[in-house]
Amino acid sequence: MKGQGITFRRIKDVFVKGLIILMAGCSVVPLVAILYYVFKQGIEAINWDFFTQLPKPVGEVGGGIANAIVGSLLIIFFAAAMAIPFGISIGVYLSEHGETKLAYFTRLVVDALQGIPSIVIGIVIYIWVVKPMGHFSAFSGSIALGIMMIPIIARSTEETLKLIPFSLKEASLALGVPYYKTMMKVIIPSGLSGILSGIILSIARITGETAPLLFTAFGNPFFNFDIQHPIHTMLTPMSSMPLIIFNYATSPYDDWHRLAWGTAFLLLVFVLMLNIITKIATRKWKVQF
Amino acid sequence: MESTVLTASKFGAYFGKNHVLKNINLDIYKNKITAIMGPSGCGKTTFIRCINRLHELTPGATVEGNLFLHDEDIYKMYPIILRKKAGMVFQRPNPFPSMSIYENVIAGYTLNGIKLKKQEKDELVQESLEDAALWNEVKDTLHKKGTFLSGGQQQRLCIARAIAMKPEILLLDEATSALDPISTASIEELLLELKKNYTIIIVTHNMQQAARVSDKTAFFYLGELIEYDETKNIFTNPKNPKTQNYITGRFG
Amino acid sequence: MAHIDDELEGLKREMLGMWTLVQLQLKKGLESLTKLDKDLAREVILSEKRVNSYELKLDRDCENIFALFSPVAVDLRYVLAVLKINNNLERIGDIAEGIARFVVDVDDNSFDNNLLDISELLLMYEECISMMESLKIAFETEDTKLARSIFKQDEILDEINFNANEIIANYIRNNIDKTEQGLYALSIIRKLERVGDQCKNIAEEIIFYVEAKVLKHKKD
Ligand SMILES: Nc1ncnc2c1ncn2[C@@H]1O[C@H](COP(=O)(O)OP(=O)(O)OP(=O)(O)O)[C@@H](O)[C@H]1O
Ligand SMILES: [Mg+2]
Repeated sequence: MKGQGITFRRIKDVFVKGLIILMAGCSVVPLVAILYYVFKQGIEAINWDFFTQLPKPVGEVGGGIANAIVGSLLIIFFAAAMAIPFGISIGVYLSEHGETKLAYFTRLVVDALQGIPSIVIGIVIYIWVVKPMGHFSAFSGSIALGIMMIPIIARSTEETLKLIPFSLKEASLALGVPYYKTMMKVIIPSGLSGILSGIILSIARITGETAPLLFTAFGNPFFNFDIQHPIHTMLTPMSSMPLIIFNYATSPYDDWHRLAWGTAFLLLVFVLMLNIITKIATRKWKVQF
Repeated sequence: MESTVLTASKFGAYFGKNHVLKNINLDIYKNKITAIMGPSGCGKTTFIRCINRLHELTPGATVEGNLFLHDEDIYKMYPIILRKKAGMVFQRPNPFPSMSIYENVIAGYTLNGIKLKKQEKDELVQESLEDAALWNEVKDTLHKKGTFLSGGQQQRLCIARAIAMKPEILLLDEATSALDPISTASIEELLLELKKNYTIIIVTHNMQQAARVSDKTAFFYLGELIEYDETKNIFTNPKNPKTQNYITGRFG
Repeated sequence: MAHIDDELEGLKREMLGMWTLVQLQLKKGLESLTKLDKDLAREVILSEKRVNSYELKLDRDCENIFALFSPVAVDLRYVLAVLKINNNLERIGDIAEGIARFVVDVDDNSFDNNLLDISELLLMYEECISMMESLKIAFETEDTKLARSIFKQDEILDEINFNANEIIANYIRNNIDKTEQGLYALSIIRKLERVGDQCKNIAEEIIFYVEAKVLKHKKD
């Protein structure tokens, strides 16, 4: 094939490469800018009180978001506790019986669920849980977030398990191991890193969710966690970090703005940490076939 | 007098409507190595997977006729019990990736929930690894993951895992086809050693291997058992022209 | 797949070449004997070198085939048969050479025709040549019936050999002056008997290769 001279082709090569790098740079700039801005604004708000104090009424200086931090953790914990068994079961089912009609339907539903705007889930939970109960509750928040976690966990579990060679299952069955033990003790542990990273990513995904919580956990300016009755606590309205950001950032008070920035910063760090943990976990638990 | 361990009688197997094994009649003898040869797709794998009932895992797979382990009808036994008696080593080494070498060897016990004392476990692991000619290579790294071993070592680990269960029959499906000559040789040597205690069936495409290690050879073609005889006879004077064409490489 | 066939075909060609050469040795030996043609006899002695090189070549070819193709079943038997027939032919070549040496060494100008007649030496010689021809065809066409037919001929040779002692002894008693000729004739008969044995071995190899039957050392 004769064509343009080699010099021209090399120039073209360099040009295209340069263009790609430039575009990549352009898209990173706003991201870095956002991170930098949140960091700069947020770091000022961070101090000991920020972690240990409750929000102060308007006018009083200082205060913290201790209730929101604990609230977030609690809501996430219960959401995960509910979503993980369901998510993994669905994932296992999809990878094991992926060809059946029911599986096809299930996959469709899971995908749809993943696409539903979070506020819609919030509204639905409001109608289904909050209204019958008669009051907002952290528990209903957990349900809403848990529902959002399920598709993520299910699909990542499915994908992970699908990658596990069939020969592994055969190896186990050939030793006379019953099917359910094969799944529980061989297949799932082999896919642990994938499942785990799916779980952590789903947590990262819901940590910042605000909309569903507006209709469910609602928020609470007080520290109402009672270690003796965690369930009872869960049945009351509860604050959480995204709610703090939402409420405080829309308020007219500088001091609250400051807290909102601090919370945003904290959320950012939290999600970042989750991502890092995922990376470490995947590496550490990774099994080679 | 040779005693029979496994008997196939008018045995057949299907994948859906696809009749892949037809009217197989043969006896497998105790403490002998029986090689199964035949062109690709003739049903060798299917046959040995019928012996430990892995065949039925494939949707739509069915069998006809009978397979007897001693005098017990294999298809009337519980698969989980049968499979403990018929250990299998696959073409590709498949140690459990989430387990250490040590755990892999006793996986058949732990996964089945059979409790062993620490000392029993240690003995079993050492004995099986020694039998599989792997002990010396791994005795200092027993708690490393099995998947860090070389392919040949992994395959021997899988053999150790299979023989740790003390099966009556050991089924090997092209177990050395992915291995180098040295690993192959050590596994062959191992088979000759193991046949003192086990009855072994190997599927192989390597005719020299069948000739070297097996006592009896069965030749399958298009799902039928064409010839079954002493390996020596098969390789010097096969009765059936199809067998002759196959082993002399003049097939088709 | 046909690769080993090429090799086996080559082996056959080689073998037949050697066969022809040995046959020629025998025929020339016979001619030199009847005419006491010492030059022709020397030719036979010289051609022994070529037979030897054929033998070495065939040995090496067989070795290569074993090493590179690991023949089994009929192929294995074929190569084994070639290896052994190769040996047999070489021995027959040796014998032809030995007979030719007698012709060179004998002092007289001609053999006593009477001696050749009564000892049936020429008949025996021709029988050998015919056996070799039959065997060659049998080998080429895998005709075991033809190969079996030479066992009868070998019996004739054995009988001639068996009777030779007495006949030659008588001859020498009556022709003291031709004692040397008589002794040579007896030696030749002994050698021809060995050619017969080699032919029998060759026939057995052909049958082994084609039918996978071992006839050797079997009394029937
Ligand atoms: N999972 C399956 N589903 C449907 N048909 C199958 C399946 N596995 C194998 N077969 C068919 O069964 C026949 C026998 O296959 P099998 O795997 O027993 O052959 P094989 O003798 O082991 O061949 P190879 O030497 O290539 O391993 C083949 O014709 C194949 O098409
Ligand atoms: Mg196979």
